[in-house]
Amino acid sequence: MSAYLIIFFAGFAGSFHCIGMCGGFACALSRDPQGRGATVLRHLLYNTGRLTTYCFLGGLAGAFGQVICTPQGTTVPLLSGPLDTGQRILAILAGLLMMAMALQFFGLLPRLHRITTSFGAGTLAASLRSLLAAPGRAAPLAFGVFNGFLPCPLVYAFAAQAASTAEALHGFLTMAAFGLGTFPALLLTGGVGHALAPAWRQRGVWLAGSCILLLGLVTVGRGVLPFAAHFAHGWPGGHPA
Amino acid sequence: MTAPDRALCSHCLLPIGRRAMQGTVNGEPCIFCCYGCCIAYQVKNGKTEEWEAAWLLIRLGVGGFLSMNIMLFSLLLYTDAFSGADAEMLPWIHLLLWLFATPAVIILGGPFLRETWLNGKEGRLTSSALIVLGVGAAYLYSAFAVIERGPNVYFDTASMVLMLFTVGYYLDAVARARAARDLQPLLAAESEWATIVDGNAEYRRPVREVGAGTLVRVRPGERIPVDGMVKEGESHTDEAVITGESRQIAKGAGSHVIAGSLNLDGPLLIQSSGAANVTRWAQICRSVRDALTCRSPSQRLADHIVGAFVPIILMLGVGASVYWAQHLPFDRALLIGLAVLVVACPCAVGLAAPMATSLGIGRLARRGCLVRDPAALEALARMRLIAFDKTGTLTSGEARVVAIDTDGTSADVVLAHAAGLERHSEHGLARAVVAAAAARGLEPMASRDVRVAPGRGIRGNSDGQTVAAGSAILMRELGWSLASSLAKRGRLCEATGHSVIYVGWGERVHAVLSLDDTPLPEARATVEALRCRKVRAILLTGDLQAAAQRIATAVGIDSDDIEAGLLPAAKRAALERRRGNHDMVAMVGDGLNDAPVLAGADVGIAVGSATDLAREAAAVVLPPGALWMLPWAIDVARAVRAIILTNLAWAFGYNLIAVGLAMAGVLQPVLAAAVMAGSSIVVVLNSLRLERLPEPAASPVPEQCSVLATQIAPEPRSTAVPINNKALQAG
Repeated sequence: MSAYLIIFFAGFAGSFHCIGMCGGFACALSRDPQGRGATVLRHLLYNTGRLTTYCFLGGLAGAFGQVICTPQGTTVPLLSGPLDTGQRILAILAGLLMMAMALQFFGLLPRLHRITTSFGAGTLAASLRSLLAAPGRAAPLAFGVFNGFLPCPLVYAFAAQAASTAEALHGFLTMAAFGLGTFPALLLTGGVGHALAPAWRQRGVWLAGSCILLLGLVTVGRGVLPFAAHFAHGWPGGHPA
Repeated sequence: MTAPDRALCSHCLLPIGRRAMQGTVNGEPCIFCCYGCCIAYQVKNGKTEEWEAAWLLIRLGVGGFLSMNIMLFSLLLYTDAFSGADAEMLPWIHLLLWLFATPAVIILGGPFLRETWLNGKEGRLTSSALIVLGVGAAYLYSAFAVIERGPNVYFDTASMVLMLFTVGYYLDAVARARAARDLQPLLAAESEWATIVDGNAEYRRPVREVGAGTLVRVRPGERIPVDGMVKEGESHTDEAVITGESRQIAKGAGSHVIAGSLNLDGPLLIQSSGAANVTRWAQICRSVRDALTCRSPSQRLADHIVGAFVPIILMLGVGASVYWAQHLPFDRALLIGLAVLVVACPCAVGLAAPMATSLGIGRLARRGCLVRDPAALEALARMRLIAFDKTGTLTSGEARVVAIDTDGTSADVVLAHAAGLERHSEHGLARAVVAAAAARGLEPMASRDVRVAPGRGIRGNSDGQTVAAGSAILMRELGWSLASSLAKRGRLCEATGHSVIYVGWGERVHAVLSLDDTPLPEARATVEALRCRKVRAILLTGDLQAAAQRIATAVGIDSDDIEAGLLPAAKRAALERRRGNHDMVAMVGDGLNDAPVLAGADVGIAVGSATDLAREAAAVVLPPGALWMLPWAIDVARAVRAIILTNLAWAFGYNLIAVGLAMAGVLQPVLAAAVMAGSSIVVVLNSLRLERLPEPAASPVPEQCSVLATQIAPEPRSTAVPINNKALQAG
């Protein structure tokens, strides 16, 4: 369970990074003329849409990992259990990807950052703005759904983590934990986003980077270390599901 | 808007088929070839205040939300999260899924249902019918299962198939739009807006409303909408769309600008010199649009196949379900039938040719090469025999003085006398003489009482004596003496196809000028490049055999491949005779005389100054002076054909294998939908390889041939030059 807690925490810390892009959207979404309750509802719908997309991506990534790793359908819980070769390779790849994403948070690998954040986002983001102004309850929900698909290194990192679980359900739970972690910050953004000092945001981003780096190292470790089960004992991840 | 069957999709600029979708984006009527283009166009161009674009996105977003939730709940079901103690939860979960699935299927499936209905009313079955049937069956079965409390529901399959198809169509359309990028500037002549300056006011009007004399302001980065003259401002323009040559041309007050050129770096105020719809840009625009809306023979065949495709797949799907129902539970058999329906992809077959063709046509048109229809492109790729007209095609079409033989008088004196007379004449040969004198910096002698003797020459007075220039007949009429060496020289030149002008004064003929048409500098390299492409070049001309022979030698055409002295009608017969075992032949010509033979060839190619009639007869028009682009145009045509063939091979191979696998029960329906969506994207990506074709090189001779060409190339010049030198030495 604690593995998911770590992911949740990483999501929470990482959401300070989200304030940059998604936070901008959340702010734009902010007030509803029909009063405070309606505003909160708008934000809840927006975040629900986003969370759904993350969960879906997680499930998809997990299923993808499952397809390429365990054709027999044997499931391996997160961060423990014996691993076959395919899973090891997947874990190493996912871990490396996560570490690369983490390095971005420290301002390293600027070129990779450009690639990951500019991947077709411009057109989509621009057209999505039309949804922000649209009235009704459906618009924020739809907006959240699309928002979840916008390229973001944080999402890539956790999607990689989800894929490395090589199981649809665990992938889903991984991304769900991450998505829930980003909930509070983005819910608050509408109100306190402006008040949050840039210095604090920077600290949050570093913290998220550290968490992702740690998770990446652990994931690579699962692939590299010969006695993964042994390693898992030192890691109180156990059987989360 | 043009009639639907002649229109192009607003988004990808491919011809819209019968399944057109109409809509309004930003207040403009739009027409789309498919649902994917409709989404992609609205996502790209829909304005914030435009409710329709936002509404489409909202529908898709909510549909996505619902189907993703269905997928997640189904995931829990598949992992047996509700087994054991929670088993009584199962019907409620099924009910929840049903609640989610109903709006999802309505939202995502609506466009497919509408299309099926509209086509069904006209008695046609399209691929959307397959989707509607498959998804409808899965949904209805699941709904019954919920009511009957059955063990399995397949709402996830229904909604995911719809979502995958929608996303697949969207991605497809996004990739296809890249093909439209090349065509956009060419087709803009119809839809462009111009900033009209009227006194102090400036307002935007559609370019088709601009008449002659209107002042138009063009900002940097905009296209110049009309032909005209710069009144104010300085800038550089790029005329690549019109002339095929991409380079910066400086423009200032007083310079002429042509419609379609791109204003690069400074604002310009332009006075239009004619209506906007008669510019060459507008003509190119019309010709490209016509070409794009035509269907090539192979495309028509593919469309027929697609027409027969849907009923066959329907039968296979139903057949597979019935067969498997005898061996498996009914729901599994139903899923196998569903997989068959969704995995078959007629889109790939339908897209195989149009995408590649419009990329090819756009590619050529951007360099000024116009293709009348896709069939011409196909014929250009297949042809292995190309016939050239001589005058104006392989040659410059303008006579030039190539030799001056004198009786000892200086060549300069002769030219000065001749030019003094000939500058009063408009005849082509006369202009050549004046040009030759000017090239040597000679002052033409002043002449009075100049009279033209039609068909024979010209005579006048200079320094008190009669001067004449013309044929031997004119000299005989005048009774002037002609030295036998000069007479012999003149006869020899005439026999070899030169035009001859005798020049005399003071009762005597002093010189013989030989004039000839000269081969274009790029002609030899072009013929050589064609040979490298296994295209045999022949020469068909109305001129004398000797003249034809000389030009043929100069450009590198074998003497077996010359037919001279042909009347226009005989050229056509000669081309038929030469056709032999080549199934496609091309004719390159210029001028009125060539119109019948251009029309008679499989591909008629006109170069540049082609008259309007020739242009009607020609299927391909190269920009003025761009014979050298011909090998490149053939390369493009061949690349297009190769891409179409690989596309068709892929599309048929894919369908054969995928439908086979689905019928064997190996493919899950959701996986089948994903594979199907991917298959047409493969076709699009394969077609986009055409974007990587090289630009036409100024020297069309490929590496391995260029060595050979440079070894032979100097020869024709060297035969021409000595005559000149000898004449000069004689003078």
